[in-house]
Amino acid sequence: MTSRAEQTLGYTILGLFSIIALFPIVGIVLTSLQDPDGLAAFGTFDGLHFSNFADAWSEANFGTYLRSSVIVTTVVVVIAGVLSILAGYAFGQMRFRGATVLFYVFLLGLMVPMEAIIVPLYYDFREWGLTNTYWGLILPQIGTSVAFGTFWMRAFFRGVPRSLVEAARIDGASSWFTLWRVLLPLARPAVLTMTVLLFMWTWNEFLLALVMVSDEGLRTAPLGLSFFQGRNTSDLTLMAAGSVIVALPVVLLYVFLQRHFIRGMLAGAVKG
Amino acid sequence: MASVRFEDVWKRFGGVEAVRSLSLEIADGEFMVLVGPSGSGKTTALRMLAGLESVSDGSIYIGDRLVNKVAPRERDIAMVFQDYALYPQMTVFDNLAFGLRRRKVERAEISRRVREAAAMLGLEPFLERKPGQLSGGQAQRVALGRALVRDPQVFLMDEPLSNLDAKLRTQTRGEIRRLAQEVRTTTVYVTHDQVEAMTMGDRIAVMNDGVLEQVGTPEELYERPANRFVAGFIGSPAMSFLEPADVAGLGVDGLPGDLVVGVRPEHARVWREGLIGPLRGVVAYVESLGRETFVGVDVGDARLVVFEEGRAMYDVGDPIEFGLVGSGLRYFAPDGGAAKTL
Repeated sequence: MTSRAEQTLGYTILGLFSIIALFPIVGIVLTSLQDPDGLAAFGTFDGLHFSNFADAWSEANFGTYLRSSVIVTTVVVVIAGVLSILAGYAFGQMRFRGATVLFYVFLLGLMVPMEAIIVPLYYDFREWGLTNTYWGLILPQIGTSVAFGTFWMRAFFRGVPRSLVEAARIDGASSWFTLWRVLLPLARPAVLTMTVLLFMWTWNEFLLALVMVSDEGLRTAPLGLSFFQGRNTSDLTLMAAGSVIVALPVVLLYVFLQRHFIRGMLAGAVKG
Repeated sequence: MASVRFEDVWKRFGGVEAVRSLSLEIADGEFMVLVGPSGSGKTTALRMLAGLESVSDGSIYIGDRLVNKVAPRERDIAMVFQDYALYPQMTVFDNLAFGLRRRKVERAEISRRVREAAAMLGLEPFLERKPGQLSGGQAQRVALGRALVRDPQVFLMDEPLSNLDAKLRTQTRGEIRRLAQEVRTTTVYVTHDQVEAMTMGDRIAVMNDGVLEQVGTPEELYERPANRFVAGFIGSPAMSFLEPADVAGLGVDGLPGDLVVGVRPEHARVWREGLIGPLRGVVAYVESLGRETFVGVDVGDARLVVFEEGRAMYDVGDPIEFGLVGSGLRYFAPDGGAAKTL
């Protein structure tokens, strides 16, 4: 039992951290709605100016950037998601020689940051003619995403009762059928959570996009935002509007999937 | 339907020998119960028969077919799992139909067989429900039904009743027995509960520590246990044992001095003429079930269970005088525990 005082203290601390987390976000949103010609100060408010979004959109070419981001993110999340499910199933449910060693190799992919591999990766990709293409952004991110995704899905598949898989085997289902028709429906929270996380990380990836592409048309949204910032250091409202545009897809996806997301997080926590 | 044969079957997990030289024949249509304490190898034996574990050594036959290397789905068996292993996202109907669909049975035939099995198990009202909406007993019946619709060569059951409460367990015990008799399918049933074994099995195979101790009808196991382990395992309350040293301390005639004496509760009675005795002890506990009473009695270093009809009025610590029914006693070698006759 928690006492009333403990409860109050708990809520106070949670409230405090919520404010700390929310303050900059609310500040950005409010700033993006301010009069662009007014005395712009971070977090202040004088009426709503939705025109800022239209201005930012057209001035900074966000249409192109968002299109690039959508292409790259979708391809990465779909391919990495499918590969992660397959690899996680193998590691979580099948017994094969070298499984442990191989899994550690996958984990290595989780531990090595992009900064550590970006330079050699750039030279390799330039040689193969992959710089300045979508593939230059997609392939490395599939690699890093699969490392996490495999780790994540393996935890889920390990938590599935063995007898369920065995029952399907005796009933005449192949491994393939068992995965897609018996286990995957149960894995929905885990898969959706993985999707949100991979989407968010891929969407926000900055360094790789900065190094790999120079074409304006290939730039992703975070990179575009950074260039936009370079050109508009003075115009705070446009900057804020651009930030909101770039962040919006991730927020929307999260809002749509949040119920599953939280369930998936809990499932991972308990079973992993 | 088919017979099942284990021929000198071994299972090793790393350095651990889970099943050692198991040879067992199960006749066509027979209900065979594998019973033993946990770790005795009974479940491993069943899983090898199902194809869920590989066979380290020896041969397993279903009918005349050697199945060591045959995939589970090719063995034409159906298994009921301890936790039921129902597919949670599918309705009861789909759960029952799953195995038939995987085997490309015609739609109309699937529907007919599912409904037939549902009728046998009283599951018709639940066909559209999901497993999460079923009670434990209903889920258990779906698990049985899933095996039943398949009409396999052999039913395998791995402690299917252990998740049910006591009353439902007794009821389902009868139901499984009835179904098995109705369809006359060879059944291998694993349990750690000797009451289940005694009430359900045509024959019982008692396993201990990876070794098959004895196979026989319930009556044979009870009346003529092959060794001390089987004698102590079958029967409730269990048989008590008097070591040679205990016997020497009793100072009564009629008991051998060089063997372990096994005494079932019904063969230890309050003293009257004609029994072996009298033995004098102290009441250690009283288990009164209303119709009968079991009295735990300390006699020297040994503890025997004395049976009395109806209620018996004893308190812990009371002195008690009792005797043994000579014809009911069993004798075992002090080393190894093999059964001996006088």
